[in-house]
Amino acid sequence: MNEKDHYKNRIELLQGTLDMLILQTLQWGPQHGYGIVQALRLRSGDVLQVETGSLYPALHRLERQGWVQSEWKQSESKQKARYYRITAKGKKQLASDLGRWERIVEAIGSVMYVKPEESAS
Amino acid sequence: MKWFPSFGSQRRSRELQDEIDAHLQMAIADRVARGETEETARQAAMREFGNIPLVQDVTGDMWGRAWLEQLGRDVRYAFRQLRKSPGFAITATAMLAVAICANSTVFSWIDGTMLRPIPGARDAGDLVSLQRGERNFSPVPPLSYLDYRDLREQNHTLTGMLAYHHDWITLTGGAQPERVFIANVSANYFNVLGIKPMKGRFFLPEEETGPAIPNVVLSYSLWKTRYAGDPAIVGKSIEVSRHPLTVIGVAPEGVVGAMPGLRDDLWVTLDPLGNDAWRMTHRDGGAVWLNVIGRLRPGVSRGQATQDLDTVMRNIVAAYPNQHLGDNRITLDPMWRSPFGANGYMAATLPILLAFAAVVLLLTCANVATLTLVRFVSRRRELAIRQSLGANRIQLVRQMVLEGVVLSIVAGAVALALTTWTSKTFAWFFRASSSPGTLNGSMDLNVVIGIALFSLLAGMLCGALPAWRSAHAPAVEVLKAESASISGGSRNRKLLSGLVVAQIALSLPLLLCSGLLLRTLRNLAGANPGFEQDHILTATVGLNIAGYSNNEVQLIRHKILDRVSALPGVKVASFTDWIPMTLGHKAEDAYPEGYVPHPHESLQVYHAEVAARYFESLHIPILEGREFTPDDDEKAPRVLILDQTAARRYWPGQDPLGKTLRIWGRLFTVVGVARNSTHMFVNESPQPMVYMSFFQEGYENIVQVETEGNPVDMAPAVENALHQIDARLPVFDVRPMRESTQLASSFAVMESTLAGMFALIGLVLAVTGIYGVVAYRTQLRTHEIGLRVALGASRRDVLRLVLLQGVWLTGVGLALGLAFALGLTRVIARLLYGIGANDPVTMVCVVTVLGAMSLVACYFPARRAMLRNPVTAIREL
Repeated sequence: MNEKDHYKNRIELLQGTLDMLILQTLQWGPQHGYGIVQALRLRSGDVLQVETGSLYPALHRLERQGWVQSEWKQSESKQKARYYRITAKGKKQLASDLGRWERIVEAIGSVMYVKPEESAS
Repeated sequence: MKWFPSFGSQRRSRELQDEIDAHLQMAIADRVARGETEETARQAAMREFGNIPLVQDVTGDMWGRAWLEQLGRDVRYAFRQLRKSPGFAITATAMLAVAICANSTVFSWIDGTMLRPIPGARDAGDLVSLQRGERNFSPVPPLSYLDYRDLREQNHTLTGMLAYHHDWITLTGGAQPERVFIANVSANYFNVLGIKPMKGRFFLPEEETGPAIPNVVLSYSLWKTRYAGDPAIVGKSIEVSRHPLTVIGVAPEGVVGAMPGLRDDLWVTLDPLGNDAWRMTHRDGGAVWLNVIGRLRPGVSRGQATQDLDTVMRNIVAAYPNQHLGDNRITLDPMWRSPFGANGYMAATLPILLAFAAVVLLLTCANVATLTLVRFVSRRRELAIRQSLGANRIQLVRQMVLEGVVLSIVAGAVALALTTWTSKTFAWFFRASSSPGTLNGSMDLNVVIGIALFSLLAGMLCGALPAWRSAHAPAVEVLKAESASISGGSRNRKLLSGLVVAQIALSLPLLLCSGLLLRTLRNLAGANPGFEQDHILTATVGLNIAGYSNNEVQLIRHKILDRVSALPGVKVASFTDWIPMTLGHKAEDAYPEGYVPHPHESLQVYHAEVAARYFESLHIPILEGREFTPDDDEKAPRVLILDQTAARRYWPGQDPLGKTLRIWGRLFTVVGVARNSTHMFVNESPQPMVYMSFFQEGYENIVQVETEGNPVDMAPAVENALHQIDARLPVFDVRPMRESTQLASSFAVMESTLAGMFALIGLVLAVTGIYGVVAYRTQLRTHEIGLRVALGASRRDVLRLVLLQGVWLTGVGLALGLAFALGLTRVIARLLYGIGANDPVTMVCVVTVLGAMSLVACYFPARRAMLRNPVTAIREL
């Protein structure tokens, strides 16, 4: 398997989740790619290290799907950067992603914390 | 090299680059702010970011990279690969170009003739050509004007029905009379064809039946050449056969009339001078003179229209039974195979030639696929490496197919260029004759589309097989096995063998057909037509169209005979109004006196009008009775000479002399029986022929001269003698008889020429194909053969080993080919003469030639292997 496939698989693996995390990050205001990486790292307490090889493909895919919009703006440090903003469609998507995420967490939780006698019956 | 610039994706990739730069700048800035040096910060940021091109690549994929761009890359790669092996690229392209050109040439001929039966007509597919009576390969005009009018008015299945009569005439008024071709047409003629005038107008309905108005419509080319494109031509008067006619319109460029393959220069109404009332008011005999074309109503099938018209015709026959003796069934043909004009002949010949060409294309594809496969085996390593570097199978297959497609597109382009020229070679097969032939191939959009399809098909075939192979080659195995490769794997071997067998099997029928057709041509040329054609000169004199009175015409005819006979070098001079074997004939119903024909019984015979000494000059023996004499003129009783077929048909076992036949309602007495001779084609089934006396019934004036020497040498003297009688006499078509009669074998020449060329291509391809494969396989086995020799195998053993392989392939190919050939020769059986479709001699010859050539092709690699020094052979790996 080559490197490109490797990246692709990682995206697939994280797809739903990464999309959700990006959209959630953009809830707090337009942000550029670097900013999103930093924000995710900070908020997850350095646990989530999003790779650029996953981030940029994800951002461009979200834009193609119309969930985010992008424009070139000056950052606070006078750096011209591409800012992504969540769209109304994206917000709807985020809500549904979140719902699904919660169901998965709940479902996994009920599997993991199931009481032994219940499972025996 | 940018093949398919795709601006959207270019902009996107530039923006992505900027975005990544910005990301790195911000990361560096952050690190610098945290106290790192510029240099370490840059390195760390880069490291953290990862593989930039890969990120770009994957991100680009998110936008679904423009497929054109991807295609462009693959095409560029294909070109690079092909440039690396120019030998293969050039050979394959050349072979494909020739094969595609063979197909497109024949197709351009079909396109120019059968698919465009009436140039300029709207929706020619809805037009049908009407035939009455027994279906005939070369029928005579089917309807009288009154019958035509009744059919036109009483049918329910046609939106329109036109009638025309094709003839020739002279344009007088200039210094020299000029022969032009003219059609008498119904007033709705252009309307039914869907043609609008380029200038002026066409005929009005009242011009058809009302008082005669001498109006004429010019063809574009006549207007351009004879009248220098005079913009004010409409309304002017021109002189045709010494009668003034008024030009009312000019037809658009390219319109040449409704008879496929023949040209009209002028169009007039059915009776423009009002002097032909008899023909307009009778239903039989000479009044049956019109060819008819109908346009089907939308949604009506040809079968329904046939039924409808047949019903109307039955009613007409019931109303006028005496004027409709014989067979009156109506049949309709689509214009592409209309028996009137040239398309009947085209439809019998061209599709078969196209089938031959298709076999050549298949054969070529098999050959190119062999080459590609061999090349592919030597490229296995490259492909395996690409595969292990991440190219997926789909990409590899696409690449292989694309290489085939690129080859065939280039070949198609070459073929396109060639076809612009070869399409026009069709006319070469038709010698100059008295017919205004316009037959030729045409190079239009249809042909371009055809070439594109042929190329695409060829490309798929050439690329698909190797691609199928590549999809089945496991990369790791290939990389491992490469060093120990013996003979390219059993799978390859089978496929290669299959391709060689296919090539032999495809070329055998081509060779067989061409052999049969070439022998047919020889038989035709060697056949005795039953009349002398080597010392005969004929010349057409435009007497009755030059505006002479009937008495003047008779006087001039006699003068011509006297003058020409007196010329030194002339043995015999005579008159006829028909030349045999020139693709034309006249036919009429003839009934023995007192004979009551059954309803719908056709008693049609060919007829020709010939003067005294006609039979003598053509060396046709009179078996019974006498030849015509100068006394058989208008004042004498009508007389006939039958040929043997006619005599047998009407009076089998009886003496026909003194019996009478009724033709055109008049009685003719039989005075002689002539030996059978060829009328239309050497391979015709004999048709009954009656000869009438020229001075009683002759219309057209063809002077027929038997010369002592070469007839060509007499041409100027004869022409001169004719002009001495009257300088204004129009004289045309002065040529030796042999030249005219060659018209009858035009199609045989065309068939055998093309089949011969195709067969030669097939032979070369098959032989090089088997040579290539055996040589290649032997080369792969060099090591093995070396070992065998080192272990004691004799040279004879080596020779046998290699040859046996070739013999086996050839044998299978020949067996399959014979089966295929037996099917294909049945198709051409109708085209053969003097030889059976399964002629054993031809078959044995062809099989021997192909087998021998294949063996020779195998012998060379075998010999090379045999003479190899085993030590070097083993070392060589």
